Amino acid sequence: MYEELLARLREAIVNLDLDASKSLTKECLEKGIPPSEIVSKGISIAMEEVGKKFESSEYFLSELIVAGEIGKEITQMLKPYLKESEIRKKGKVVIGTVRGDLHDIGKNIFGMMLEAAGFEVIDLGTDVPAEAFVEAVKKNSPDIVGMSALLTVTMGEMENVINALKKAGLRDKVKVIVGGAPITEEFARKIGADAYGKDAVVGVEICKAWVEGKS
Amino acid sequence: MPVFRKVEIEDPSKLVFGIAKHPLSYGLGLKIGQGEVVPEVKFFPKAISEKDEEAFKKEVESITKDILDRAVELGVGSLQIETEQSFMETKNPRLVAEVTNIQKSVMEKYAGEYGIKLGLRITVADIRDFREGLRHTAEYNLMLEAFEKAASNGADILSIESEGGKDVFNYSILRQDVRGILFSVGLLGPLDMSFLWRDIVGIAKRNSSIPGGDTACATANTAMRIAGGVRSMNIPHTLAAVVRAVSASRSLVAYEEGATGPGKDCGYENVIVKAITGYPMSMEGKSSACAHSSLIGNIASACCDLWSNEQVENIRLFGGSGPQVFLEILYYDCKLMNRAIALGEQNRLRDMLVSSDKFEDPQAFVLSPEAAVEIGKAIVSEKGYYRRGISACFKAVELMENESNLRLSPPEKRFLLNLKKVLETLPDDEDEFREQMCKAFYGRVQTFRERDYWP
Repeated sequence: MYEELLARLREAIVNLDLDASKSLTKECLEKGIPPSEIVSKGISIAMEEVGKKFESSEYFLSELIVAGEIGKEITQMLKPYLKESEIRKKGKVVIGTVRGDLHDIGKNIFGMMLEAAGFEVIDLGTDVPAEAFVEAVKKNSPDIVGMSALLTVTMGEMENVINALKKAGLRDKVKVIVGGAPITEEFARKIGADAYGKDAVVGVEICKAWVEGKS
Repeated sequence: MPVFRKVEIEDPSKLVFGIAKHPLSYGLGLKIGQGEVVPEVKFFPKAISEKDEEAFKKEVESITKDILDRAVELGVGSLQIETEQSFMETKNPRLVAEVTNIQKSVMEKYAGEYGIKLGLRITVADIRDFREGLRHTAEYNLMLEAFEKAASNGADILSIESEGGKDVFNYSILRQDVRGILFSVGLLGPLDMSFLWRDIVGIAKRNSSIPGGDTACATANTAMRIAGGVRSMNIPHTLAAVVRAVSASRSLVAYEEGATGPGKDCGYENVIVKAITGYPMSMEGKSSACAHSSLIGNIASACCDLWSNEQVENIRLFGGSGPQVFLEILYYDCKLMNRAIALGEQNRLRDMLVSSDKFEDPQAFVLSPEAAVEIGKAIVSEKGYYRRGISACFKAVELMENESNLRLSPPEKRFLLNLKKVLETLPDDEDEFREQMCKAFYGRVQTFRERDYWP
């Protein structure tokens, strides 16, 4: 009985049907399925399936993001019934496009994929000066800082941010990941970043590995 | 102001490069849409920070001279230079005046000495901060001042890449939310443009400049960039194609407020806009690979009147500076098209350019001359921005569905079916749609405020 209901919930999430996912979650709760099981046997498994569909080019990245949004929304419904330890975020990431640069597509995709993966994301927007990154780290104590740049004339600003973090005594408290069209592995290493995200998918994998203590 | 109720170019065979129904003459003897495609070269200087003001002026002067020197060496007869302002420049109208003046003086010198026909387009940056509001803010007033200074110091053409609705679009595109996309591109964008372009047209008239046009760069090109290449699975390419179609109804608004072209280069939707208005258009494609990649490199040139490189950094290459090298590339592209016109073979060359891209990707398909006229007709058959936007969406979907030669993967076909279903659920009434969407996005997109569009 429970299993059939959870299977229907998984199917609704995989089909990206928000309304059905919400009403089935409600039904699961009414039928007395423990909220932690709705998460572990419903939402998590469905999200894994959506992830596999994306990896096999059956689903688009945008569909992965939509599934993440559905997962987030129904987890919100379960929040009052879950223990603090069961709803803890995977980690906290401050992201932004560096000063002088207004390009935000890559940064936005990265941010949404991080959220879909369970991270809390603090998006500082575009044209972000080094001081604003430092302030955000002081205020939010993130695990990771992610910086993006599209222009060769602005990519140097990433080094300024890293230096500002060092000056404020915060560099050792966060991992730094950088990305954007002109950025390379070598550049990331040269400016003292911890990693280079070739694209958003790779970037999220690196962040996941960091918070899970795999690297 | 004209309100387009029918397309100016009904026969797709008349939609061809170098020839516009309503041509233009301006600047230092430049003729656009009169049987010749003209290169439009655009650059990105290295000095872009506030502290580099003097270096910036010197660099822009040097880039302008570099471009014109190469033009003279190659024997280029007609050329347009576009200066797309950085935030730093637009925020400093005094600098806008000085830089425009420097460029125009250099251009006048070369026109006088070498007889080269020249035009200068100045594109003001949309510096508005969505958190502060879109209308009559300090940034809005600075933008208008930048337009005024550009126009009064020698700009022949005024343009902008306006960003109204961009915040809602950014939220919607990555969630493939068709309603949000239609709301942002089909309704918020046009409302913002209508307000903004009244002011731009007024400034242009006072200063004898030409109000060129706007582009859906902030939205449709964002969708195109996210969609990526043939192997990319970021968002459906059919969705990016539909965004392009609806963006034509948005870019059209500038012309309904008094702009006369040439339309701005990065508006790939300009082929549809040209079909509707008959005004000449600047386009970009294969020779703007220096700025970004696309799957529509050849087809984009099929109906252009100016041919642009989008933007190239002022770096040194083996063949000269970036702007010099790309001027040369554009020049030879134009030379081929102009030779085809001279031989009366323009439609043959156009058809080859079209067919090389047309079926490879839905984004190319909707920009074929036949599709452009059909989408144009669908847009002008409706009254009101919202209805026009929906009509463009439906037509694009219908054209893609009915073309068996169009290469679509199974996920694309699945998405197209879902997209059509969503379109069918949309209300007919604009007010009802507005109410639904304002409710949906208020608070969800922090910077979205109804009063920026409906004061």
